[in-house]
Amino acid sequence: MHVDVWREVLGSNVGRMGLLLIALMILLAIFAPLLTPYSPRENTSTPAFSRPSADHWLGTNDARQDIWTQLLYGARTSLSVGFGVALLSGFISVLIGGTAAIFGGLYDRFWMRVVDATIAIPDVIVIILVAAYLRPNVLFMILLLSALSWPGGARVIRAQTLTLKERMHVSAARTFGAGWPHLLFRHIVPDLAPVLVAIMIQDARRAVFMEAGLSFLGISDPSVMSWGKMIQYARVFTFLEVWKWWLLPTGIALSATLIGLSFTGYALESALDPRLRDRDDHHDGGI
Amino acid sequence: MEDQYGRPLEGPKVGWSIPKATARAWALLRRAAFFTNYAVAFLLILTLNFVLPRLMPGDPFQAIYGQEALLAMTPQLKAQLIERLSLDQSMGSQFVAYLLALLRGDLGYSYYYNQQVMTVILDFLPWTLLLTGTALLLSTLGGLVLGIESGFRRGRRLDKALLGGLMFLNGFPDFFMGIVLLLLFGVLMGVVPLSGALTPYSGLAGLPLALDILHHLMAPLAALVLVRLTSPYLLTRNTMITTLRESFVMTARAKGCSEGRIKYRHAGRNSLLPVVTSTGMMIPHMITGALFVEIVFSYPGVGWLLYNALLTRDYPLIQGILLMVTVAVLAANLLVDLLYSKLDPRVSDAR
Repeated sequence: MHVDVWREVLGSNVGRMGLLLIALMILLAIFAPLLTPYSPRENTSTPAFSRPSADHWLGTNDARQDIWTQLLYGARTSLSVGFGVALLSGFISVLIGGTAAIFGGLYDRFWMRVVDATIAIPDVIVIILVAAYLRPNVLFMILLLSALSWPGGARVIRAQTLTLKERMHVSAARTFGAGWPHLLFRHIVPDLAPVLVAIMIQDARRAVFMEAGLSFLGISDPSVMSWGKMIQYARVFTFLEVWKWWLLPTGIALSATLIGLSFTGYALESALDPRLRDRDDHHDGGI
Repeated sequence: MEDQYGRPLEGPKVGWSIPKATARAWALLRRAAFFTNYAVAFLLILTLNFVLPRLMPGDPFQAIYGQEALLAMTPQLKAQLIERLSLDQSMGSQFVAYLLALLRGDLGYSYYYNQQVMTVILDFLPWTLLLTGTALLLSTLGGLVLGIESGFRRGRRLDKALLGGLMFLNGFPDFFMGIVLLLLFGVLMGVVPLSGALTPYSGLAGLPLALDILHHLMAPLAALVLVRLTSPYLLTRNTMITTLRESFVMTARAKGCSEGRIKYRHAGRNSLLPVVTSTGMMIPHMITGALFVEIVFSYPGVGWLLYNALLTRDYPLIQGILLMVTVAVLAANLLVDLLYSKLDPRVSDAR
C-alpha cells in the first residue's frame, strides 16, 4: 500500500493552514527590507510610544524604534534558528541513526547508548545553564540546540532504516557493492523523506520556542533582534496602552509560527500513521 | 498450556535456548544500563555546572560568584571562599571539592540573598510544587476526559472543534499564554491579581487564606493547563480511535452496554496507561513551563527566583536551581520508567 503522504497533508485543512502560516512567516522574513523603510535599531524622529499610523504600522517603542520593523527582523532570527536546527539536527539524526542501523553490532549499541543517555538529559536546563554563561548568538544557538535534539530523531530513523534496509532495491544496491553513504543517501533517505520531515518540523518547532524562551529570559546575544526579547521589553509597559500594538502582535507572530509548525507536523504525522487515517480514505482505494 | 490447535504455547519462544541464570544476569545488566543513562545525564550536568564558570575568561572567582558579590567582598572573606572552593588547587581537586560539597547538601552561597543557596531555594520551592502539581493533575485529567469524548465522536463536530482548538492552544508558548491571560483577566477585567501568590500582610488564616491562594493561583494555573492539555488529549484520542476498532468493543456493544460504559469502562480504560506515561514525560516540560509562567505573573516560585538570579547574575543561585530542577526531572523520569514496566507486563517482557 503506497500512500502519497504529501498529497494527504495538502488535502487536510490542518496541513494547509500550517503550511500557509509557515509560508507567510518565511515571506515576511525574506522581504523584510522591502516591507519597511526603517532598520530595526534605528531611532526614528517619531516620539516614543506613538500609536500605529501610516508611517509606523505598529507604532514606536520606548526608544522611538519602529515596532513593525522589529517584528519583521525578529522573524528572521526565529526562522534562521528553526531552519538551522532542523537541518543540522536532521542531518545528524540520519547520519547516526542510519549508519547504526546499517552497520549494526557494537557500533549500533554504542550509539544507542549515547542516544539513551542524551535523551535523559533535561535539555531546557542545559540550554539555560550554558546560555546564562555564554549568551549565545544565532549560530551558537543552532549548534547548542542541535546537539541536544538529534537523539530523538536518530532513534526513529534507526528503526525505520532497519526495516527499509531489507527492501529489494537496497539489497540489490548492496550486492552491487554500494558503500554506506550511497545506500543511506540514495536508497534509504528518499524513502524516509516524510518521516524525516516530520522529525525536522518537530526540531524546528522546539528550536523556535527555545530561542524565544532564552531571549525572553534575557540570556541570548543582546545584539540579536528577537521576538522573545521584544515580548520581555514590552511586558514592562503593560500599564500603558502600548501592549495592544507592541506586546500582542509580537506574541501572535511567535504563536503563529509555532502553530504553523505544529499543524503541519500533525498533518504529516497523521498521514504517516495508518491507524489514524480515516476509514473512508480516498487515497488508498479502501484496500 | 496449549493453544486452540493443540500446539504447546510455552516452549519454542523467545529465550528458549538461553539458560535461566544467563537470562537473569542479562536482565540485571539491562536494568543496570537503564540506571546508567540517568547517572550519565546527571554527571554531565554536574560537569557542566563545574566547568562553565571555570571556562569563562578572567578570574573564575568572578564567574562563580558574579560581579555584585565581588564588590562587597573583604580580603578575609575572599581568602575563605577561595579555600572553600579549593580555587588555589588543581582542577581535579577542585572537582572533588565541588562534589564533596554537593554531597553535604552545600549548593554554595548566594550573595544577593545573603543566604545559603539551598535555604533560598527551599523558601521558593513550595509555590512551584503547588503550581506544577495542580497543573499536571488538571491537564492530565482534562486531557483524558476530552480525549475520550473526542475520540468517541471522531469526525463529528465536537471532535473537530476540540482537535482544532486544543492544537491551536498548544501552539502558544507558555509565557505568551500567561501574558494574554494576565492582560485579559488582570488588566482589562481586573478579576485576578496581577502578581504574587497571596495578599501580603493580610493576616488571613484558614479558609480565607486558602481562597486567597487559589485566587492568585488561578491565572498561572490556567495558562499552564491550557497549553499542556493537548498532549494527553491527543494521546487519549489516538488510543481511543484504535481501541474502538477492537473486537471486545464490538462485543460490549453487542451485549447492549450503554454508551457511557463502553466509553469509559471498556475503551477509555485502555488509554490510561499511555497517558500515565505521558504525564511522567510531561513533568520536565511542565516544570520548565512553570518557570516561564511564574516570571509573567511574578509568582514567587523557583522560576521567578531563577529569572531574578539571571538578572542579578547570581551564579551560585542559578547553578543551584538548575541542579535541583535536574534532580527533580531525572527522578520523575526514573519513577515513570519503573512504574511503567510495573503497570504493563508487556514492557518488562520486551526488555
